[in-house]
Amino acid sequence: MENALLQLEHLSVSFRTPAGEVEAVRDVSLSLAPGEILAVVGESGCGKSALCKAIMKLLPANASARAEKLTVAGHDIASLSERQMRPLRGALFSMVFQDPMTSLDPTYTVGAQIAEAVRAHEPRLKKPEVHRRVLELMDLVGIDRPEERCRLYPWNFSGGMRQRAVLAIALAGRPKLLIADEPTTALDVTVQAQILDLLRSVQRRLGAAAILVTHDLGVVARAADRVAVMYAGKIVETGTAEEVFYDPRHPYTWGLLRSLPSLAAEGESLYAIPGMPPTLIAPPKGDAFASRNEYALAIDYERQPPLFPAGGTHFAATWLLDSRAPHIAPPRPGAAGVLPAQARPAPGEVLLDVRHLCHSFHPAKNVAVRALEDVSFTVRRGEIFGLVGESGSGKSTLARCVMGVLRPQSGSILYKGVDVCDPAAARAARHMLRTDRQIVFQDSASSLDPRMKAADIIAEPMAVNHIAPPRGSLREEAAFQMRYVGLDPLYLDKYPPELSGGQRQRVAIARALAMEPSLLVADEPVAALDVSIQAQILNLFRHLQAEHGFTFLFIAHDLSVVRYLCDRVGVLYRGRLVELAPTKELFARPIHPYTKSLLSAIPLPDPRKERDRPLCSFDGAAPGPGGRFTETAPGHFVLTDDGKEAAL
Amino acid sequence: MTAVKRLAAFLLSMLVLSAAVFWIARLAPGDPLVSYYGERAERLTPEERAQAEAKLGLDMPIGAQYVRWLKNALHGDLGVSFKYRQAVPEVIRGRLGNTLLLGGAGFVLIFSLALALGAVCAWYEDRPADRVLCRLGTVTSCVPEFWMCLLLILVFSVTLRLLPSSGAWSLGAGGGTAADRARHLVLPLTAVVLGHLWYYAYMVRNSLLEQMRSDYVLLARAEGLSRRRVMVRHCLRNILPSYLSLMAISVPHIMGGTYIVETVFSYPGIGTLSYESAMGRDYDLLLALCLLSGAVVMVSGMLAQAVNERVDPRMRARRTRHGKGAADRG
Repeated sequence: MENALLQLEHLSVSFRTPAGEVEAVRDVSLSLAPGEILAVVGESGCGKSALCKAIMKLLPANASARAEKLTVAGHDIASLSERQMRPLRGALFSMVFQDPMTSLDPTYTVGAQIAEAVRAHEPRLKKPEVHRRVLELMDLVGIDRPEERCRLYPWNFSGGMRQRAVLAIALAGRPKLLIADEPTTALDVTVQAQILDLLRSVQRRLGAAAILVTHDLGVVARAADRVAVMYAGKIVETGTAEEVFYDPRHPYTWGLLRSLPSLAAEGESLYAIPGMPPTLIAPPKGDAFASRNEYALAIDYERQPPLFPAGGTHFAATWLLDSRAPHIAPPRPGAAGVLPAQARPAPGEVLLDVRHLCHSFHPAKNVAVRALEDVSFTVRRGEIFGLVGESGSGKSTLARCVMGVLRPQSGSILYKGVDVCDPAAARAARHMLRTDRQIVFQDSASSLDPRMKAADIIAEPMAVNHIAPPRGSLREEAAFQMRYVGLDPLYLDKYPPELSGGQRQRVAIARALAMEPSLLVADEPVAALDVSIQAQILNLFRHLQAEHGFTFLFIAHDLSVVRYLCDRVGVLYRGRLVELAPTKELFARPIHPYTKSLLSAIPLPDPRKERDRPLCSFDGAAPGPGGRFTETAPGHFVLTDDGKEAAL
Repeated sequence: MTAVKRLAAFLLSMLVLSAAVFWIARLAPGDPLVSYYGERAERLTPEERAQAEAKLGLDMPIGAQYVRWLKNALHGDLGVSFKYRQAVPEVIRGRLGNTLLLGGAGFVLIFSLALALGAVCAWYEDRPADRVLCRLGTVTSCVPEFWMCLLLILVFSVTLRLLPSSGAWSLGAGGGTAADRARHLVLPLTAVVLGHLWYYAYMVRNSLLEQMRSDYVLLARAEGLSRRRVMVRHCLRNILPSYLSLMAISVPHIMGGTYIVETVFSYPGIGTLSYESAMGRDYDLLLALCLLSGAVVMVSGMLAQAVNERVDPRMRARRTRHGKGAADRG
């Protein structure tokens, strides 16, 4: 393309690490037209962030980048020195980062930080003009009451608001190219949809091009014009959003699409790409994806495939597109082997009975944050109960109360008839309570002791509870559990930091299962994992539950995951349970406006549908203490305010 | 913690400290009469000795002695130094100025130099300037303070004969002129600064580097701010709260170093006085000095906390109840 805004040819980035040279980006070529949004999709470690930083020349000192050509709007970036780069940053291109919590300086007000960015490019601007421009920018990114808000500090802002402020900073220099590195990953689903729409509308209004880096294909479908799929430092498929989503050509793209829980039909298990991405210290000689590719040809192990044209602007790097290769029809997205029809027994007696649970925190004097307000539900034996809510809805507080780690201020939790909240009763039954309930956390990196071997971690609950290991020694028990969750016992002597995220989460699950619990509480167990690993773990949960029959309290913010896994779902909103229904019923007929907005915010990997779909936003205030549960259909309960009953 | 609670905690700690020092000093072997009578103490007859002990109140049981001391102390009478035969506050007053001069100048120098050095090292991270400074710093901080003093004396006063090796002013010069005092201050001050400087400079370097790797710095750089501006306006400002509280906490640390240096240089300050009073069983003086040092330690700890709350806007926000949620709904 002659008039391309960004032209990048044969970029390679490598990092010098003590373990060796990591080839993070390998021979990537890209171009971007003015006003276009390109999405770069890939799992963690595929080199997408390194690619962005290389374009802005913001790589850390231990990195080296080589490119045959790197021009942005006619400026030859590759040859510029740091001094020459500085005026271009912000004015020609700017960047938005993943975590809005850390990308603002906590010691300055939001207004001051935006003003600083404005002044960086127009140093001669007078104070009132700078202020006017700050308010303009805040208005542009949808922060209302900017006069008031610009005097607040970042910690006064919620995550979505901070990301808006970061966007305002990035737009201060009127950039031609905006690079957004996972801009919505750290945000709630409904906020994510708002920010994506904002990004798109702002980009259109300013006529800027954008590179949107993400691991979430659903996000891509909503916002991107073109898509580039990255794997192990290389672009494996690129084309328009329609081409990539409706006619994917690379087996990796097939795998990514098939592992999305939102596309899985009922009763099917998720497709999980087997294995793990290769390490990039000594990347494989042939196609890096070959070992995980069920369609791999002999040549895949020998030579790296070039980007084959697949019609129009669509290219894919797979030998399957070579004229000599056998023709393979891509599998239907979402389809994977049907789960062997294991007759799951009907839920048995009530195992967990949560009654009128209330809890508030007091972060400072005279400040109370209500985390849970009058929450009641029951979970029967053998049931998978999902609990959905955004950050701050009280999900984790509830999990802690159920586990007996936190004593709620009022209400009761009956587990097998024992009131967990009653200290005397809980102490009397403490051995049963400790061994019978287990929990798996979101962040396996911090929930496993980094200085304990996997074998010791898995066997620890047995050791501390003085349970004789049924399979001989503790180590044999650990090896058995490890095989049970699909890990090679080879990893018994590894420390958690040596394992990948998915492997660590398996160890955490093995630790929980070692006690053969009746109740397993999982607090966002897949939120921190990549799509393909998430599919592996979700399948594992399903499989284990079917085999083991334990009761499952599954806490998540991602509705598509919940839909895939759970029998019944409760929706938490600001500490209150607003809707409770069997999964199918909830997704077919959501009643509470908050549930509706949650459902509408699930990103779908379907560009055409996704672009026109309106967002159903819910900006209601926190539900008051009143209201009651009304049963609208068998098993479907919804919280109604006494006065507003007619409106629903 | 409210001011009242803090004051109560302070007073209680002082009481415990005074009792502990009182007992320990008296249980330690040694003859307090030596500092009162000097050489003569050894020639005293047993009768004279008993008389002298009774005169100084040393014949009572330790508990009773303590109660008497405490009663007097609460009336503002901290006792008499055996050696100087002067009221304790008088003795301390004569020396305090010297120590404040040495310690204060050392304190200011250490922390301004540490900030500058740390910033230079962070700026030139892993480049020759940083490496040389880091190596040098590690070596100097490993040298024990007293040995450093001896080395300085050996080089600058014995060999080069440039600077005086002891005292705070030249003998016979009375109070000494400012220039004379400054000349006497150079070596002890160097020893104090060199002994502590690197510890803090390294802290500054590392916390600056940590800041420079954070996301907001990347954002600031991506929006086109220069590295210098990011470092000064954002990184330095972000480490200042912890640096200020570190400064307050380190007062006792530097004070301890000053005491050692004073002793080696025979610098007439609180340090030498403490040393002398401990060696000579000058009980009342020792106790008063210990209480003074203890008070400084505790006050600087409280100061650190106050500074922290003052400088970090997040701490302020908690007090004014401006906390999270103010702008949550957009």
